[in-house]
Amino acid sequence: MSMTLPIHESSPFNAPAPPLLELRGISKAFPGVKALDDVSFGVWPGEVHMLLGENGAGKSTLMKVLCGAYRADAGEFFHRGEKVAINSSSDAQRLGIAVIFQEFSLVPYLDIAQNVFLGREPMGRIPGTIDRRGLLREARRVLESIGFDIDPTIPVAKLGVAQQQMVEIAKAVSQNARILVMDEPTAALSDRETELLFELIRKLKADGVAIIYISHRMAEVFALGDRITVLRDGRRVGEVDPARATPDELVRMMVGRNVDMSYPRHFVEEPGQVLLEVKGLSAPTGISDIDLVVREGEVVGLCGLVGSGRTEVVRAIFGADPASAGRIIFDGREKSGGPDEAARLGLALIPESRKAEGLALARSVGDNLVVSALRKLFPSGLFQPRRVQGVSSDLIAKLRIATPSARQTVALLSGGNQQKVVIGKWLAAGAKLFIFDEPTRGIDVGAKAEIFALIDRLVADGAAALMISSEQAEICHVCDRAYVMREGRVAGELSRAELTEENIVRLGMHHA
Amino acid sequence: MREAVLAVTSNPLQRIPGVAIMLLLLVAVFGAVAPGFMSEVNIANVLVQSTLLLMLSLPMTLIIMTEGLDLSMGAVLTLTSLMVAIVSVATGSMLLGFAAAVAVGLIFGVANGCLVAALGIPPFVATLGTLGMAQGLALIVSDGQSVVGIPHSVSEIYSAAPFGIPVPIVLAILAYLLFHGLLYRTRFGAYVFALGGNREALTYAGLSPTRLLISVYALGGAMAGIAGLLMTARMNAGHPTAGLGLEFDAIAAVAVGGTSFERGNGWLGGTALGVLAVGVLRNGLNLLALPSSIQVASIGALVIIALFLDGFRSRS
Repeated sequence: MSMTLPIHESSPFNAPAPPLLELRGISKAFPGVKALDDVSFGVWPGEVHMLLGENGAGKSTLMKVLCGAYRADAGEFFHRGEKVAINSSSDAQRLGIAVIFQEFSLVPYLDIAQNVFLGREPMGRIPGTIDRRGLLREARRVLESIGFDIDPTIPVAKLGVAQQQMVEIAKAVSQNARILVMDEPTAALSDRETELLFELIRKLKADGVAIIYISHRMAEVFALGDRITVLRDGRRVGEVDPARATPDELVRMMVGRNVDMSYPRHFVEEPGQVLLEVKGLSAPTGISDIDLVVREGEVVGLCGLVGSGRTEVVRAIFGADPASAGRIIFDGREKSGGPDEAARLGLALIPESRKAEGLALARSVGDNLVVSALRKLFPSGLFQPRRVQGVSSDLIAKLRIATPSARQTVALLSGGNQQKVVIGKWLAAGAKLFIFDEPTRGIDVGAKAEIFALIDRLVADGAAALMISSEQAEICHVCDRAYVMREGRVAGELSRAELTEENIVRLGMHHA
Repeated sequence: MREAVLAVTSNPLQRIPGVAIMLLLLVAVFGAVAPGFMSEVNIANVLVQSTLLLMLSLPMTLIIMTEGLDLSMGAVLTLTSLMVAIVSVATGSMLLGFAAAVAVGLIFGVANGCLVAALGIPPFVATLGTLGMAQGLALIVSDGQSVVGIPHSVSEIYSAAPFGIPVPIVLAILAYLLFHGLLYRTRFGAYVFALGGNREALTYAGLSPTRLLISVYALGGAMAGIAGLLMTARMNAGHPTAGLGLEFDAIAAVAVGGTSFERGNGWLGGTALGVLAVGVLRNGLNLLALPSSIQVASIGALVIIALFLDGFRSRS
């Protein structure tokens, strides 16, 4: 035994022992997207394998494949070196895989014990009944084994997020899970709760449980990870040893190069007057102390990870959510009211779920275009269909909406054209600042270019745009400036010259 | 479960559920103003009359806990009550009439369940549809007339009192205990909480929410069948509109009892108290010789006040 092999610390017999679970060449496509493309990785007992990637890198899809909710289109799974299939949640369970989603699978008005053993309750003497005493005994045993000191008869509805997560882990442990998949488990936890969770994870590791841990936070990737796999656009970029990697390297791997992307944009050297100024804006929805400025003729980006508070900021500006502190000055006037006032002053919010929030899908293009401008067009309150025809035809021509006529039902238009109808609706109402929340989500590349061309024309006419996007490449190509959010605050501002994907990711991530 | 909820509630005032306060208030008010309200005969009367509503409100609690609703219950009760009357008159057998009622109730319950769970039709719409069908059928089978000449063996169910306890009370207590055991002591009961609280959790546990949901509605139909026997026995006849509007009373009793329409938060004890509150209210207003239209309006007010009380106190 004098041979010395490079041995991985947590799998002492690394060379001969196959991984507990190995994925080879997993692919999964959805209409229009390749969510996973030839992804391979393995996890050994007693180690934490970190999965790192931006929004849309394929982490969630991978997790759903692991728990059997999605079926992989291609690829193989190996459990302790043996080929296995994961086609259903029971397959996953049999292999000892348990997934803890961010949305918990707990029943609020059952107690902890019943939640831990839901569907596997110890049977009482009469068939169908629950052996309550046995249930509580088993629950106490499981809770004790993970060091969670709590009365198992408390209903889950009374627990905080961190405790609910512990119950989820207890549930997984009670199923003898050997492979635990966790999706951003610290997203909703305080620092102290996070420390408790880390303690538990270390304990599970010591018991030989393999943990696949999905994270956005650099600090915990290095604090907890034994191995890091970086995903980008559904592909595995590489596997990294955290002892030898730096945060900067990881960021570069996550961002990578982006293929040709050129959107028409006429940048102006000197933007116009300040149109919107936000000072110290805070809201109970989780944003605090937001400062930002948008000038006429500018397209300003608002970036950051999903959940960093981007949508909350624009909702608070628009008045859709009440603010708790701060000032919003629009066009020289102090704004204090709700969406009504915002619309009257000339603010337009174009939400992410256009179908749910922005359009009356069953109505015609013409109706949708004029709906926000009714008061302006018809001050007397009497509706004149001919006037609607005129206004909507003008807008259809101006915005180049591809529709056979103003009478066409909006639901029948393509995503890009629906987006244009939403923009036209606000234009008709006299909007000066267009706030876009993920304007290009769900529309194809050609339509994206058209939308950006339209935004360019809007700001060239003196309007301005504030744009949320998870597509950092788009922000870099289209925006004059950008603000980067992190955990409900503005982490920094990037000028046109500083606007690179790497800088956005670096500011948006939680650093050590 | 209920003990657990109460144990962790810190404020002692919050431990008294709103429905109990409502019931005490109603008893106190009617005791003071309604002549004869506190008499032994009247109290027994309220209890016996409440049994029928309890039979409907128990399964209604479970259905509402699944974030569902059964509007057809009153009409199905009318139909099952007629089945008892028609079959027992024709055959002279109480048991055959009872069996026919339960069978018809079950058919409607399973139909409701399939419409809601398998076809995904919103409970409000699905059970509104079956309400119309049950009421229509009731008019057809009775030809719009009352069915009379009920055998003594049927009407006896309502009037007999072995050991001094009326049969309806015995049946109601049995039904309550059965439902209590079912909801709090069986797997099925746990899954009822999950149907309203987190259906995904059931799927992840390898259970079928569809089948469970159908069973819950089927239970409602079967109970409407049993209640049909009580109804026919009480009226000594089958009426083509006997159960009209009873679903309103049942839903009100469940709501007054503190069962939430969201997230599977239900409480059978509250429903029993809610049934009594509705019964006391109707009885008291009757004694004051107020018309039944006032009763319906008051029950509506009762629901709103009880929900306000619960909401107000849980916020404070």
